[in-house]
Amino acid sequence: MKAASICPNDQTGCHLLPLANLFDRVIQHSARMHGISDDLHSEFELYFLPSKNQIGRVSRNCHTSTILTPNGKENAQRIAREELAEIILKLLVAWRDPLWHFHQSMSQHDEFTNFSSNKSLEMSDMVHELRKGVLKVVEKMQMLGIISNSVGDTGSPEALLTSDSAEWRFMKDYDLLYCFRRDSNKIQNYLKILKCRIVPKHGC
Amino acid sequence: MIGLLCCASLLFLLTSLFIGCFKLLILAPVEPHFTECMSRDLETFRCWWSPGTFHNLSSPEELRVFYLKRNSPSSEWKECPEYSHLNRECFFDANHTSIWIPYCLQLRGQNNITYFNEDDCFSVENIVRPDPPVSLNWTLLIVSPSGLSYDVMVSWEPPPSADVSTGWMRIEYEIQYRERNATTWEALETQPHTQQTIYGLQAGTEYEVHIRTKMKGFPKFGDFSDSIFVKVTEIPLRESAVLLTLVLTFGVAGILILIMLIVVSHQQRLMMILLPPVPAPKIKGIDSELLKKGKLEELDFILNGGGLGGLPTYISDYYQDEPWVEFIEVDEEDADCGEKEDQKSSDTQRLLGLPQRSVGCFSADSHPDDDSGRASCYDTDLSEQDTHLLAASLLPGQPEDEEAFLHPDEKAPASETNKSPLIQTESEGKPTWINTDLYAQVSNVMPSGGVVLSPGQQLRIQENTEKESQKKGTLGEDTSKLNKPQFQLLVVDPDGSGYTSEITARQISTPPSSLVPGEGYQTIYPQPMETKPAAPSEPNQSPYILPDSPQTRLFAPVADYTVVQELDTHQSLLLNLPTQQPPPPCLPQHPLKAPVAIGYVTPDLLGNLSS
Repeated sequence: MKAASICPNDQTGCHLLPLANLFDRVIQHSARMHGISDDLHSEFELYFLPSKNQIGRVSRNCHTSTILTPNGKENAQRIAREELAEIILKLLVAWRDPLWHFHQSMSQHDEFTNFSSNKSLEMSDMVHELRKGVLKVVEKMQMLGIISNSVGDTGSPEALLTSDSAEWRFMKDYDLLYCFRRDSNKIQNYLKILKCRIVPKHGC
Repeated sequence: MIGLLCCASLLFLLTSLFIGCFKLLILAPVEPHFTECMSRDLETFRCWWSPGTFHNLSSPEELRVFYLKRNSPSSEWKECPEYSHLNRECFFDANHTSIWIPYCLQLRGQNNITYFNEDDCFSVENIVRPDPPVSLNWTLLIVSPSGLSYDVMVSWEPPPSADVSTGWMRIEYEIQYRERNATTWEALETQPHTQQTIYGLQAGTEYEVHIRTKMKGFPKFGDFSDSIFVKVTEIPLRESAVLLTLVLTFGVAGILILIMLIVVSHQQRLMMILLPPVPAPKIKGIDSELLKKGKLEELDFILNGGGLGGLPTYISDYYQDEPWVEFIEVDEEDADCGEKEDQKSSDTQRLLGLPQRSVGCFSADSHPDDDSGRASCYDTDLSEQDTHLLAASLLPGQPEDEEAFLHPDEKAPASETNKSPLIQTESEGKPTWINTDLYAQVSNVMPSGGVVLSPGQQLRIQENTEKESQKKGTLGEDTSKLNKPQFQLLVVDPDGSGYTSEITARQISTPPSSLVPGEGYQTIYPQPMETKPAAPSEPNQSPYILPDSPQTRLFAPVADYTVVQELDTHQSLLLNLPTQQPPPPCLPQHPLKAPVAIGYVTPDLLGNLSS
């Protein structure tokens, strides 16, 4: 389908500039989200023995393990754009509720400082914002005809996590943080790969 | 003794324990373990192990590496895909590397002894240490004007192993530099761009620069790159620049010193030029400087004439005698009331309200304020001769103007006419002699009720007439009589006001009775005065006043102002009587030379006395 051209002339570069900007903004957002999760994770580690390679005692798998994600560069590059975008959205949706509850439990614990509590809230908000941002990017891409319309709002997290919907409730706070930290890095990477696949000339 | 023994034994025990523990700690065999696992590009990674201090390791191949990928519950341990026994390294290629999935590694020796540590589990993204950048070079950005310091731009290429172009890896760079022989490095902030500026390097010293990288969001740095050396030779300062700087500096300093000296030495003129005074607010009307310097005349002028006024006008009497005189001078030069009076009219006429003259005008011009004491404005209905005489007598005299004074000789025959003085004046075409002051000070009050006015005007009149007579030289006996200090003052019945009024003027018809020559006061009688010593008791005489009338008694000149001694029963002011004076009449000398021993001496008197 033909994309509505926003540029007077049919220049490819002109089309893609706003999209590139959108991508940049979203990527920056995700980087910040990852940074916050990293900080919180490090803070949590103070209550545990610091692990050498920051693995620690991950007793369980993360609740998002069910989402199939490309685990390598080639995989990420081979996968279709629509699929990659969808994976990103799935991840973001999956973390909405857990982070909110995490923040709730954080604020109830006295041993955590206000700083940490604020960070957890920020993290929770960021997931929302980032999801909206990614949706906008997807919309734009669909408008420009870069990807098909198969990518849509995946809706409630319950649709994704059918059996594991309550799994995260059993995760300890520390594990949750670890998982989120990992997932936020995934999101960041996927977004960057997506950008460099679609608009490679604008800062890759 | 026992205690000492006890202590010694205890010490021995402890020491042995320590040694034993020490031995255990230090000399205990270390099991095989992994020293490090590292990834350079987030696609592959490698792990190194160490056999430890275990014995019985015949060959390095005995130890085997197994790994576990915890991406599913049913995962199992697999052997290292690629060994490098020389380095004791296990390399995981891209196919065997998965990101975001925990790996666990273990070493297995013979007999399936496994050496596994929890800490050896990791995710690949956490063990990334990117390669250092390549192709470092630097360019000179700018040199400071002094030539002592400079800025340098260092640029490089990202490590080839890191896939930055696809966005797979986001790398940050950290530059460190130090002087050639220094020990500590100076680190700049980590940033993701492939170039950075180093500020403030000193010229002449060589610097060493190297860069390292890390993954954005992860803490581990890679190795440092090879160092590059930066040096900028010291640029010799241009002679002209130095000279100019020196000249400017010294010039400015000199100027400042000069200004300071000027200020210190209080050179007013220069100070005015350099540091002009801030204008102070000017208060309209009164200048404080005037008050300070004590220039009373100006101050008085301001307060009365030029300024808003407000001070009592009697003060002006002290200083405005002359202006009065000038003002009232009836001659062509003065234009009272803004009108050019013809020579025929005189101030007297005007003052007296004679036909066409308005008195009020005169007064209004001279003094802004109304002052009851002045009695400047006589009602025009002063028809009484006495009043006129009184008024005329009260007018300030004109000391200098000879012509202003009626010749007594000449005027005498015409004394019958009522308005003779004025008319005669008119006929003469000269201003009347009755240029008396408008106001005269009451010198003394006679018991009869007369008021002795200041002789100042009369003196002047006398003087002038004297001069005239001398000039003419026609008078014989008359001169002698004229020489008498004949002051005519109007004696007025005191009515308490201190000033004569028309009412009182009428009363001046009584001949002077108790006039004593030596009393020193003068009386003016409303009778026409004649040069000839005729009896003054003729009321039909012309109502002008002949100051040098033979009737005039010999009176010593009276001061313009005298002190009020007391009030007598009639509520009259008793002024300070001047001391008795010798009878002046027969003296051919200048009558004005009669000694006047009074409180105040008018300037004229003083002049005459001294002359």
